[in-house]
Amino acid sequence: MNRRKFLTILGSAGVVSALGTAQVAKASGGTTTYPYYENSYGVLHDTTRCIGCRRCEKACQQVNNLPMPAKPFNDLEVTATKRRTTADAWTVVNRYMIKNPEGGKDKPVFRKLQCYHCNDPACASACFAKCFKKEPSGVVSYDGSQCVGCRYCMVACPFYVPGFQYEEAWDPLVLKCTFCSPRLQKGQLPGCVEACPMGALTFGKRSDLIKIARKRMDKEPAKYVDYLYGEYDAGGTAWMTLSGVPHAELGMDMNLGNRPMGELTAGALGAVPMIIAFWPVLFGGVYGITKCKERLVKKEQEKAIAAAQAQTKQALEAAVENIEKTQGVEAAIQVRQALKTAQQPPSDGSCCCSSKHGEGV
Amino acid sequence: MRNGKTLLRWMVMMAVVTVVSSGVILAPKATIAGTLEATDSGAPSAMVLFPVTEKANPANAAMRPAVFNHLIHEKKIEDCQACHHTGDQVACSSCHTVEGKEEGKFITLERAMHAENIAKRDKDTPSSCVSCHVEQLKKTECAGCHSIIKPARGQEYCGVCHDVATTMTPQQLRQGIQGKLSSSDNEALAEATVAKRTPVPYINPNSIPYNVTIDALADQYEPNTFTHAKHLDSLMKAIKDDKLAAAFHNNPATLCATCHHRSPLSATPPKCGSCHTTANYDAANPDRPTLKAAYHLQCMGCHDSMKVSRPRNTDCTTCHKERAK
Repeated sequence: MNRRKFLTILGSAGVVSALGTAQVAKASGGTTTYPYYENSYGVLHDTTRCIGCRRCEKACQQVNNLPMPAKPFNDLEVTATKRRTTADAWTVVNRYMIKNPEGGKDKPVFRKLQCYHCNDPACASACFAKCFKKEPSGVVSYDGSQCVGCRYCMVACPFYVPGFQYEEAWDPLVLKCTFCSPRLQKGQLPGCVEACPMGALTFGKRSDLIKIARKRMDKEPAKYVDYLYGEYDAGGTAWMTLSGVPHAELGMDMNLGNRPMGELTAGALGAVPMIIAFWPVLFGGVYGITKCKERLVKKEQEKAIAAAQAQTKQALEAAVENIEKTQGVEAAIQVRQALKTAQQPPSDGSCCCSSKHGEGV
Repeated sequence: MRNGKTLLRWMVMMAVVTVVSSGVILAPKATIAGTLEATDSGAPSAMVLFPVTEKANPANAAMRPAVFNHLIHEKKIEDCQACHHTGDQVACSSCHTVEGKEEGKFITLERAMHAENIAKRDKDTPSSCVSCHVEQLKKTECAGCHSIIKPARGQEYCGVCHDVATTMTPQQLRQGIQGKLSSSDNEALAEATVAKRTPVPYINPNSIPYNVTIDALADQYEPNTFTHAKHLDSLMKAIKDDKLAAAFHNNPATLCATCHHRSPLSATPPKCGSCHTTANYDAANPDRPTLKAAYHLQCMGCHDSMKVSRPRNTDCTTCHKERAK
């Protein structure tokens, strides 16, 4: 096979596979991965009520049997650090000092961070082991039994929520807020919601929470920013946030768009299984055809060589017989002897000698 | 009258006559106005603001006129332009009528009096009666309750201003609507109204429970002893001399209504736990705070708004001691 042939085959294979991939992308991507569950639950965090007492953090640690942090929960200065969720801290409350437009003291506003339990989660769309799932209850669940620890989910999450057990040597898992799914199944509230002394966390059907949030904003327009974070952000989330100051000032990303993150990657990532299934067959076939052709060519070559060798042998035999007739049997024997030595492959000694000479050169 | 002297004499005489006659006309008015202190500006001390319209209907149907106490407003606000925003000290209804006129940029009388959240102008943003009153609610002594309670725009609220003495005759109303009521009649009516206005005394703090023990939820913490009467007393002291508060707090139980909200005003209101659940969750009313949240929101909401710096919201044990384990 020459270079041109190879490139032609590769090019056509590329086009075919690209078409196939696009087909798959069209079928799986472009639309959402999960349907919207009408009766799913959520939690509304009203930052105008939050006092930053960290009761929710403590409750989270207790109900999920997570290790207690080095600094106790009654150390409220911890909230000044812009902490992120980790494998051991599934929810954190951070303090943001908001400038008073009329001068005077800055006003502290506290914002809780945990898994937002997206309607169509990016982590689930990024995970090729299918560890994440959006449940009809609203929970984004994680089953680590197939987790390979690739941490794509952590890259995909627009809120940087999943935490990885870096210190686990053998079977590290990705851990995040579970929406206290086991508690919900028992008819209990999530630990943090139950612990909040301010009613800053309201649990309910997501659809009800949106109405509640609208009602609060309508009733007190001066108290709230007219925006419910999570209603549409990142395609909508089960946990939503109300604020009295622009959400961006509470470190919340306002540029997530209103479509699920998964939509951006579902096409490309949806093609992965297709590539795994289709490409080996395609390129295996190409390889097979190439090999087969080479084999045929070799066979023909061998045939031609054999024919040529037979011809040469015949011609030599004829020449020797001619010598035998004209110069006698003695001369013919000598010629045969000479031919035999010439046809024999060179001995090991001479080979070694030549290689040595070769090295010298 | 070729002689300049004669002309001058005539003019002097005319001037004298004018002064004397105006004095004669003004004299009886002064006796009517005797009940109210005179204003520094010379404006009437109180006046009836009629819904002046160009299309007065024959049945005299109109909003009950409002009585405006110019005197106490003038004492409170030194800058006349705060209300007389054009700089001319004329009646509001000369530009703002019920229908609106070009002179008043078609801003109706209703809007001129009641508009809230008025868009900021480059300079001299006008204010309405209501927008200014609402602004007053942000004062520290008011903000405690009024960050939680927005007075309902009902009969009791509107009636504070839209209240005129029953001596007003239908004839006077018709004249007023047409803008033709004589100023003396107007002022007489206004003064009669102001004279009958008397502030309503609040419930006596000595007549209410002195301390209230809040123990419905005591679990991690000991019950809290709430200094009930002291709280009412300090609220009353803070607004003792506030005439705006005196005018609008027109029920003895008004001050009770911030905490004892959403029930008819009463000296014996229902308990918080009557509506707020002691459980963790109120499935029927997910937006209604649980009892624990209700207490905290109410106490801290008021303290924050009144800039009560101590105790801090997170100093749990200042209000309720930790229960020994």
